[in-house]
Amino acid sequence: MKGIHDQDLGYHQMVDGLSRTIHCYLLDPLSECCPTAQQGQALCATFYGSMQDKDFSTIIGENPGPGFCTGARIIRTGKKKGGSFLSRQAKKKNCSPVTEEELLQRDVVSPDEVIKLNSITEKYLCPPEANVFNIDFTRFKLRDMETGTVLFEVAKPETHPQVEDDVREMEAEEADPNAGRFVRYQFTPQFLKLKTVGATVEFTVGDKPVNKFRMIERHYFRERCLKSFDFEFGFCIPNTKNTVEHIYEFPELAPDEIKAMIDNPYETRSDSFYFVDDKLIMHNKADYAYNGGIV
Amino acid sequence: MGLLTILKKMKQKEKEVRLLMLGLDNAGKTTILKKFNGEDIDTISPTLGFNIKTLEHRGFKLNVWDVGGQKSLRSYWRNYFESTDGLIWVVDSADRRRLEDTKRELESLLLEERLAGATLLVFANKQDLPGALPSKEIRANLELDNIKSHHWLIQGCSAVTGENLLEGIDWVIDDIASRIFTMD
Repeated sequence: MKGIHDQDLGYHQMVDGLSRTIHCYLLDPLSECCPTAQQGQALCATFYGSMQDKDFSTIIGENPGPGFCTGARIIRTGKKKGGSFLSRQAKKKNCSPVTEEELLQRDVVSPDEVIKLNSITEKYLCPPEANVFNIDFTRFKLRDMETGTVLFEVAKPETHPQVEDDVREMEAEEADPNAGRFVRYQFTPQFLKLKTVGATVEFTVGDKPVNKFRMIERHYFRERCLKSFDFEFGFCIPNTKNTVEHIYEFPELAPDEIKAMIDNPYETRSDSFYFVDDKLIMHNKADYAYNGGIV
Repeated sequence: MGLLTILKKMKQKEKEVRLLMLGLDNAGKTTILKKFNGEDIDTISPTLGFNIKTLEHRGFKLNVWDVGGQKSLRSYWRNYFESTDGLIWVVDSADRRRLEDTKRELESLLLEERLAGATLLVFANKQDLPGALPSKEIRANLELDNIKSHHWLIQGCSAVTGENLLEGIDWVIDDIASRIFTMD
């Protein structure tokens, strides 16, 4: 077993001989990197992004066989200003019909407005407190439909009340408002060869009924939108645990595009927007690398 | 062109089909859903909420809603009626004790206005169990032949072996397709 440690990124990847094990790490704040995404991880983003850093997620399944994912990490976004990418982005001219700046001025952001964005966001369009329904993502699973193999599965363990109290105290000290809203994925290039995948998320709902729960997710590689996902869950029963599996084809990517995505880690990025009654209540982000096992 | 025609045309373009799977608790709804999608069925626990799957099947985009059947959840079923093209009613064929319950629940669903246009498939599930009533008997017990309001079919099946699941789903899709997508 060898370990790779990249100081700059605070990234730690373990590659275990023939079969690779997926590792999920809780990292120190790392706010700057936010490149787009490929299709499959759509829901990954959703899931991880919503898991608070306090929640020590565990890997349930191991990556069988060829190894598509060498690492998935939950990252605390936050205090440390980073931003080489952000500053670069800031200089770019935003020519979308609706700009992020405009939406940041709004008290309430609607699905129609988000749909008009045509690039990845730099900031969050709502505060973490907007999630008044206690919607919590608790599990994520990705499977390859061609072979039926589970590529990986992670779940948030049941929280122990005492632990939660302790964590709350810790959180109070850290007070990082964006903790847990951003996640970084490390996949191997094989991941880009998948044809059909099933991505399952499990989420719990608090004691208020949720109306018109809707997810809009956008995946970009650099400026290009690779996939846009819009799904309305509709009503969610109070105090329930629900699952959604989307089974879909990966968009066709040209060989040079695949190469560019592999060569440019974390320039594949996603925004996940969640609405209840047409109001934005959660905004999560993720970025992706496909050079696992290469670097 | 009427509004309904326009809506139908819009749907036709995407060929999107919404299926709602209901039935008493422990009927096997989630197992059917998972088996149909080639998922492991060893560790299925009671659904306290819903399970949704979206998938492509025969060129259709299926959105399947499986909502928990516990008594406490049944009052919420109505929240999922809207836009349903097909209702899949799942019966535990070995649970003779609750046949009357399942009959009553189904009857009340068929009165729902928002399900008026839906195709009905009854899955007489658990045919692999020794004590299971054959679908013919379930059909008689549920008095399905009295249903005039909906297109319907009863299909004996086993979620565990997968027997007849595909046949049932394909019938629902065919029926919906003939009602919606080929109309002009």
